[in-house]
Amino acid sequence: MRRNASVYAPAASALFMGLGQIVVLRQYLKGALLAVLEIVFLLNAETLFKAVRGLITLGDPRPDLPVRLRDNSTFMMLDGLIAVVVMIFFIIFYTVNIADARKQGRLYERTGEIQTTRQFLKSLGEKAFAYVGLSPAVAMISFFVVIPLVYAALLAFTNFSAPSHLPPNNTVDWVGLETFREMASLGGQFSKAFLRTSIWTFQWALLCTLTTYFGGLFIALALNEKKIRIARVFRTVFILPYAVPGAVMLFVWANILNGQFGPLTKILRALGAVEWLKNMGVLQSDAIPWLSDPTMARIMLILVNLWLGFPYFMMMMTGIMTSMPEDIFEAATIDGADKFQKFRYITLPLLLYQTLPLMILSFSYNMNNFGGVYFLTQGNPSDNLTTGTFAGSTDTLMTWMYKLAYDTRIYNKASVIAICMFVVIAPFAIYNFARTKSFREGEL
Amino acid sequence: MRKVLNILNYVITYTFLVVLSVMVLYPIAFAIGGAFSPGKSLANLSVLPFPANPTLDHFDDLFNRTNYILWYRNTFTIAVANTVVVLIVTLISAYIFSRFRFKLKKPMLMSFLILQMFPSVVGVIAIYVILNRLALSDTYLGLILVYSAGALPYNIWLIKGYFDTFPRSVDEAARVDGAGNLTVFVRIVIPNTLPIIAFLGITSFMAPWMDFILPRFILRSDSKKTLAVGLFEMITGRSNDNFTMFAAGALLVAVPFVILFIINQKYLVKVMAAGALKE
Repeated sequence: MRRNASVYAPAASALFMGLGQIVVLRQYLKGALLAVLEIVFLLNAETLFKAVRGLITLGDPRPDLPVRLRDNSTFMMLDGLIAVVVMIFFIIFYTVNIADARKQGRLYERTGEIQTTRQFLKSLGEKAFAYVGLSPAVAMISFFVVIPLVYAALLAFTNFSAPSHLPPNNTVDWVGLETFREMASLGGQFSKAFLRTSIWTFQWALLCTLTTYFGGLFIALALNEKKIRIARVFRTVFILPYAVPGAVMLFVWANILNGQFGPLTKILRALGAVEWLKNMGVLQSDAIPWLSDPTMARIMLILVNLWLGFPYFMMMMTGIMTSMPEDIFEAATIDGADKFQKFRYITLPLLLYQTLPLMILSFSYNMNNFGGVYFLTQGNPSDNLTTGTFAGSTDTLMTWMYKLAYDTRIYNKASVIAICMFVVIAPFAIYNFARTKSFREGEL
Repeated sequence: MRKVLNILNYVITYTFLVVLSVMVLYPIAFAIGGAFSPGKSLANLSVLPFPANPTLDHFDDLFNRTNYILWYRNTFTIAVANTVVVLIVTLISAYIFSRFRFKLKKPMLMSFLILQMFPSVVGVIAIYVILNRLALSDTYLGLILVYSAGALPYNIWLIKGYFDTFPRSVDEAARVDGAGNLTVFVRIVIPNTLPIIAFLGITSFMAPWMDFILPRFILRSDSKKTLAVGLFEMITGRSNDNFTMFAAGALLVAVPFVILFIINQKYLVKVMAAGALKE
């Protein structure tokens, strides 16, 4: 057997898991464990294949049966997905089993030695701590992060939506790119809403990022001036919007910006500005449409976001400026640079260089910011596009997706939006990945 | 001439900073004032946030007429459980990634790095179906699993980075003295990295308080409602009817947050900067 062990062992293991280990290499324990794995798989194979078939068919509509007994397409889809994952894991194990037989076979051929049971158990014990310790994290991440992402993507290719395709009463079917077509076809209501929402989401993310970034920069610079005595007091005050939970302050802002009864309107009314604007024909009534005029609402959203978001950048910039080495500035002073030159050629470039990644991540954060829009306007004011598509004029992709999923249960369209969001987030994820220390230094 | 310009410069800078402070403080002051003002609605609140005859009625109403205490307790339970789950799973995983070598280490760490960018909310429909399938919908357990799983990829990277800076020679010395994996972890690594563990604990505790989408999808029954959902429902719909009561409720959430933030400010800023800038 020794002569061709590196051929026979993997061949036997390819035939049945563990066979090569047992017959050729006489590693009985390891071989038995592998064989048991295959037996368990084979015993469950029928269930697994049934689940995969369910993923393909998504069940038959059986209106004659009571609801409890009907096929539940969404569950079948999930079971099928899990079955596919289990099969992928099995294939990986199978490959590892063949590779191991080959490796041990080679060793046997060359040296005549076989890994003993004791050696096997020892190496298993070392790895076991790592794998057992990681299994809760891996299980949680696969079930609640990875599978949902895949599943959400799959839903976009179905007709899972109210009113007539909602399990358990009805089944769901694969419809291919139908939903995408509806969202993208020219002239359709949904495509119009989709285009408007996408453009506004982009504008929103861009303007939010720029305003908070430069607002924070400006204030950090103003407070960095050595002659400002009570800079610490101001800094503490300016951090407050960051310390208070954002959602709470958004609710408060929604009330402050109430067009009829909000304090801002009252102040302007007391100053006579409302009356004046009414005479000018700008306002129709006594109320100021802070959040009920589309353009005004968008401006207010960005301003409130600035109020909430500038402290973060202020803190970051202050931190960077205080950690800048003094000697560069001293050297510049000796070379005769004045205050403005030192700022222009040292402080600013260093700051911008160090905070660029933050700015890019902030853009991706703002794309997905839900509360910043929803808690203030709920996507309103609505217009004629909103009636059929539920997208208000200040809705971003995120809030629109939420409304489609939660309020109206048009899950397939919500999933198309989710896919668009994956596509938008992906470059940022890759960017974030590429700039990490471990990646750049080749550790990964 | 130069002196005059300088003085003018100060006046302008200080004026700007003072005006800005007013703009920052006004909404906060308005909410605090609202919480103690008589009357229910926004309409009869004065513009200046100082009530002439302050009252505690709204706190009374909040406790006796709404489910505020229930929401608070629910959210607190979720936050505590989330902290426990996150701490246990993250610390063990980060320790293994920091100290062990195994085949799948690199691909796993790489995929975590990419996954941490995707917010759980994007998969919320799927999460809802999955929890239904596992009979975990409308349970705290389901919500906590989703929260902690969503935070794991980022947290594992954060803590692993910190564990990496703790010298390996110390745990090797302990191993020579006969300590096993678990002993090294519990007796040596954890006690020496307490600040970052405290930070992780505090952030995991704070995260659920103001989250909205996930609790709204997952916890459907009234008795399981969380604070963010409860407060939101209190002011939408009949928005200007309940403002003062809402303000009282908001105050009771915000105060502990601000205190926690101020206590941790220095550390928080440092970790945020380190996480965001270097990684």
